[in-house]
Amino acid sequence: MDELIDILKGIHPEVDYETEEALIDSRIFDSFDIVTLVGQLTEEYDIEIGPEDLLPENFNSAKSIYELVCRLMEE
Amino acid sequence: MSFVSFSFALFVAAAVLFYYLIPVRYRYLVLLIFSLLFYYLACGKYIIYILLASLVTYISSMLMEKEKQKVQVLFPAEETAADRNKKKEAKEWLKKRLKRIMIIDLLLVFGTLSVLKYSEFVFANINLFRLLFFGDRKLRGLGDLVLPLGISFYTFQAAGYIIDLYYKRIDAEKNPFKLMLFVTFFPQIIQGPISRFKDLSPTLFAGNRFERENIRKGLYYILFGVAKKLIIADRLSLFVQRSSAFYKDVNGTYLLLTILFYSLQLYADFSGGINITIGTARLFGVEVTENFARPFFSKSVAEYWRRWHITLGTWFRDYIFYPISISKNLMNLGKKVSRVSSFFGKRTSLYTATIVVWALTGLWHGAEWRYVVWGLLNGIIMCVSAELEPLYAWLNRKAGWKDDSFLHKAFSIIRTFLIMSFLRIFDLSFEGIRMALSILKRILLRQGGITMSRLEELGLSQNDLIISLAGIALLFVISMLQRKKSIYERLMGLSLPCRWVICTLSVALILVFGYYGLGYSGADFIYMQF
Repeated sequence: MDELIDILKGIHPEVDYETEEALIDSRIFDSFDIVTLVGQLTEEYDIEIGPEDLLPENFNSAKSIYELVCRLMEE
Repeated sequence: MSFVSFSFALFVAAAVLFYYLIPVRYRYLVLLIFSLLFYYLACGKYIIYILLASLVTYISSMLMEKEKQKVQVLFPAEETAADRNKKKEAKEWLKKRLKRIMIIDLLLVFGTLSVLKYSEFVFANINLFRLLFFGDRKLRGLGDLVLPLGISFYTFQAAGYIIDLYYKRIDAEKNPFKLMLFVTFFPQIIQGPISRFKDLSPTLFAGNRFERENIRKGLYYILFGVAKKLIIADRLSLFVQRSSAFYKDVNGTYLLLTILFYSLQLYADFSGGINITIGTARLFGVEVTENFARPFFSKSVAEYWRRWHITLGTWFRDYIFYPISISKNLMNLGKKVSRVSSFFGKRTSLYTATIVVWALTGLWHGAEWRYVVWGLLNGIIMCVSAELEPLYAWLNRKAGWKDDSFLHKAFSIIRTFLIMSFLRIFDLSFEGIRMALSILKRILLRQGGITMSRLEELGLSQNDLIISLAGIALLFVISMLQRKKSIYERLMGLSLPCRWVICTLSVALILVFGYYGLGYSGADFIYMQF
């Protein structure tokens, strides 16, 4: 989780990822940020994130992103 | 049949009447019959295209469903639950099958759109190429093909449905008539919005019961839309058309006024039309997605496109931008580029996808190079803005401007409005890119005075100018009021007598100041041509 927070901080350092639960719904992350994040997650965790995974509920908080990463690592 | 015509009002009234007279479970059929009737009255025999698009979409969706059932037989749940490799194999097998069906479907629906909308453009460019390299040998095109009403909108909506099925975001609609209604629903056929199945289908198919709230909300929306269209958009239309047609005969100040008025005309026209769409749908209890979120209050071009024609933007984002930008090929290319330059490597997939999306967005608006250039300029500005963000932040710090200060916000909003208005020159320049550059040159280098008599010659009398400016000011105030609550919610917060006064006043304003009447043919909605 700490690794993930570091990646997220690299994109938007001003966000409190411990509490924020609407990264997409509040438009904190835009499509450019999402693609940047996907690129870094793919490389860091050696996973494959497809367009079907790009749903707001998967990217709204650090926790949901972490869960997505764990699920894809298991697959 | 124009949205702002007596015949359309009668048509909608008849549809509403039948809708609520028929038993609840058949109400979607009333909407389907009226949608097909609307399309037939507008396009006659060309209705065949939308029928075929619906049929192809339905068949594809059923074939996909069949594959989903087949995978359960070939790979039973008890086997895949116990064996991870088996589960992966089943997933891959299904993905491959669904992809095949999706590609065939998209080739058919986009193939039709391409032939009807883009074949002349392609042939013209091939001929130009042949002329340059092989003399004057000419390929004959397919002739003047009629572009069916709303084809760009319903094609995208139908394609979105199939792509969502492929990604398993929705379940297939098994009733062919319901699916046909989703593709042909008449209030949104002229100029969108491009609805998603999961958003539109619940209220579209439900067979909604009569509720006064729906009728009231629907009529308010329609009233607001008609006011925007008749008081502002159609009033500015003549001036914008004439001054752009005679761009060689007017100085740059008139042209600057033209592009600023064109931005406002386009907004009043398109958002007014969308208000009518949302309002008409609401009369049946159907909830259509909003397509605008006060776009002229955007502080950047990227934000503007998240607030203008929202459904087209999200369509391109979800179905083109994301799949391209996170595709394996582009990601790998990014890694290769990173070996040479880490800066470019990180940006390869992001900016390639951005440029592709904006070239396509340009082409969506019209089969001409000026639209492609317009789209590409939007994309380039977004990429450059993203890169310049640190510089902006540094400049703001130096100037002591805070991001949320009024001055900074006002500056960003006006800058974005001006950029978008200047980009619209390509939209206005019906003769092509050369005309756009000529208008731009005149605006920048040939400023001059403006006289009322010249404005009148160009189709904007003093009264028109005053009414337009008052209308724009009112629209601005309404947009400001909508910051936290929609204008409808604000209206509902008022007492009944107040609401009656506002409504009566709105109708009176339309009757007195609207562009309509015998001998006047209202301008078509601009987005109808797309």
